[in-house]
Amino acid sequence: MLSRSYYWLVLALSIPAFLWLVPTIWMVSLSFQPNEVLARTTSSTFLGLVPIPFTAENYAALFAFGQTPMWFLNSIVVALGMTLGVLAVSTTAGYALARLDFPFKTPIAVLCLIGLMVPEQAVFIPLYTMFSDFGWHNSYHALILPRMAVPIGVFLMLQFFKAIPRDIEEAARLEGVSWIQIFWHIMLPLARPAMMTLAILTFLYAWNDYLWPLVSAQQRDYFTITLGLASIQSNFAQSEGLGRVMASGVIASLPVVILFLIFQRYVVQAMTAGGSKG
Amino acid sequence: MSKAKSPLRRLNETQSAYLLLLPFLLTYGLFLIYPFFRGVWISLHDWNLLQVAFNPDAKQFVGFENYVRVMWGRNIEWSPWARPVLQTLGLLGIAAAVTLNRTRRLTGATAIALGLAGVALFLIAGVYAGEEGRWFDRRFWPTVGNTVLFVGLTVPGVTISALLIAAALNRETRAMGLLRTLFFLSQVLSVTVVTLIWQIMFSPRQGLIANITELSGGSPITWLTDERFAMAAIVIATIWWSLGIAMILFLAGLQDISKDLFEAGALDNCTGIRAFWYITLPNLKRTITLVIILQIILHFQVFGQSHLMTQGGPNDETQVLVRYIYQTAFRDSELGRASAMAVFLFVIMGAFSIVQFLVGREEKD
Repeated sequence: MLSRSYYWLVLALSIPAFLWLVPTIWMVSLSFQPNEVLARTTSSTFLGLVPIPFTAENYAALFAFGQTPMWFLNSIVVALGMTLGVLAVSTTAGYALARLDFPFKTPIAVLCLIGLMVPEQAVFIPLYTMFSDFGWHNSYHALILPRMAVPIGVFLMLQFFKAIPRDIEEAARLEGVSWIQIFWHIMLPLARPAMMTLAILTFLYAWNDYLWPLVSAQQRDYFTITLGLASIQSNFAQSEGLGRVMASGVIASLPVVILFLIFQRYVVQAMTAGGSKG
Repeated sequence: MSKAKSPLRRLNETQSAYLLLLPFLLTYGLFLIYPFFRGVWISLHDWNLLQVAFNPDAKQFVGFENYVRVMWGRNIEWSPWARPVLQTLGLLGIAAAVTLNRTRRLTGATAIALGLAGVALFLIAGVYAGEEGRWFDRRFWPTVGNTVLFVGLTVPGVTISALLIAAALNRETRAMGLLRTLFFLSQVLSVTVVTLIWQIMFSPRQGLIANITELSGGSPITWLTDERFAMAAIVIATIWWSLGIAMILFLAGLQDISKDLFEAGALDNCTGIRAFWYITLPNLKRTITLVIILQIILHFQVFGQSHLMTQGGPNDETQVLVRYIYQTAFRDSELGRASAMAVFLFVIMGAFSIVQFLVGREEKD
C-alpha cells in the first residue's frame, strides 16, 4: 500500500519536525546540567542538546527551597477550580439555550454571542478596579471568576446538546420527569465527551494564562506557576542559575504536556473548537 | 428519579430554564458585560489608579479627552502622498478587490473586506502631523504600527508553514500522527515557558543559535537588543509556538476535500506540487480565510512575548498595543487613557470578529 515516496516523505518531514522539537529538548537538557558548567558553556555535548555532564540537582533544589512548589499548587487549584466552574455554568446554560423554550430566549442567546467578541485585554482594567473595590485581589477566586464569564463554553455545550435526538427527552417528559432531572440524569451523562473537551480547553487556558494573574496576583504567595516563572526569568542567569530556571520551566510545562500526550484527541478537538469560535 | 417531593420537580419549563441559566448569566453579567461598560465609563474620566484608590471622588469626567490625547495631536493633516508606499499599497488593494470581484475570482464578502482594508490603509497612512504639529501621544501610533507589523509577519509565517506541513502530513498513518504530535507539542506550552526558552535560544552568550553561528565562524547576533532583529526574534518565537493550532485547523479542512478530486487530478498528471496548487488550495479557501482571521485576532493581542523577551525594546521597536495599555494603566497609573486604548483595541477586534462570523456563515451555505 505505502509507496517508496511515502517513506521518503516521512524521512524528509522528520527533519523539520526534529528541528521544531529542538528548543524544547534544549530546555529539558539544560535543566539536567550543573549550573557551574552552564555558567561557562551551554554547549557541552552536542550543542548542549544531550545532558552530559548530568545532574538532577536543579530539581532537588527546586523542591527544597524557593516558591516553585507553592506556585505549582496554586496553578493546580486555580486550573481545577476554573475548570469545574466553567463546566458548571456552561453545561447548565448550554442545555437551557439548546433545549428549553422560554421568553427572551433569542435576546439572551444573542447577548451571549456578542460576548465572544470581547477580548480579555479589553476588560482587564475595569475588572482590576472592581476586584480592588471588593478587596478580592490575591485570592484564588480572583484568579478563577473572570474566566467563568467567557461564553465560549456555553456555545460548545449548546452545539453538543442540539445534536442529541429529542426522543429520549420526550419519553422522559411523558413519564413526568422534570426538566432539571432530565438535565442531571440523562443529558449530563450523554455530554461527557463534550465536557471532556471543554474541561481540557479550560484547564490549558487556566494553566497558561498570564495577563490576568499578572495584574491580579501581586503577592508572590498567590502567583501561578506561569506567573512565577515570568518573575524569575528576567534575572535568570545571575540569581538562580540557568539550570534551575530551566527546571522550573520543565515543571511548569509537565502537566499540560502530559495532559496533551494522554488526551491528544480531546486537546486537538478542544483547540479546534476553541480556535474556530474565537 | 425518586425525588418526588423535591421542589425542583414542580418547576415548569420557563422556571427551569432560568434556574439553569442563572449561574452563567450572573458571572457573565458581573465579570464581562458590566466590566466592559465600566471600561468605557473609565475611559471618559481622568482617572488616576492610585489617587482613586485612596479617594473614590478623585476621578473627573472629561468626555472624549482621553481619546483625543491618545489618538490625536496638534495640526494633524491629511494628504494623499504622506506615506506614498503604504498609500499606493492601499490603492492597489482597492483595485485588486474591484478587478478580482469583476472577474469572479473573489466572492462578495472577501472582496468587500479587501476593498475596505485598502480604503482604510489609504486614508490612515495619509494622516500626519503638519508643520509645527505633533501628536499628543507620540508612542501610541508607532505602538499600533509595531503591533500591525508583528501581525503582518507572524500570520503569513504561521499560515504558509502550517499549510505546507498540514498538506504533507495529510495521511492517517502512525508516522504521520507522530510527526503531527511533534509539530503540535509547542502549542500547549505557556507563554512564559516559550519566552524562557527563546530568550536563552537567542542569547548572544549562551544561546543555541549563537553557539551554532560561532561553530561556523560567525559572530553572534544580539537578537533581542538589536533594533534590526528584535521584532524578528519575537516573530520567530511566536511562529514556533502557535503553528500547531493552524496546522490542526488545516488538517481538519483537508479531511473535507474529496479523495476523488485527487484521483481525478492524478489521471491528468496533476500530482505533488501541482495538485497542491490546483486542487488543495482552491478547496481550502474557506479554511485559510478563517485561520487567517483567527490569527489576526489572536496575535493582535500579543503581550507576553514583547513583555518578557524584549521589554518592548530596543527603543520601542517591539512595543505592542496590549503592553502599552498595561504600562499606561499599571506603571503610569493612567487608567482613563489606558481604557481609551482598550476600547480602541476592542473596536478593532470586534471588527475582525464580525468578519470572522460573516465568513464562517457565508460559505457554509
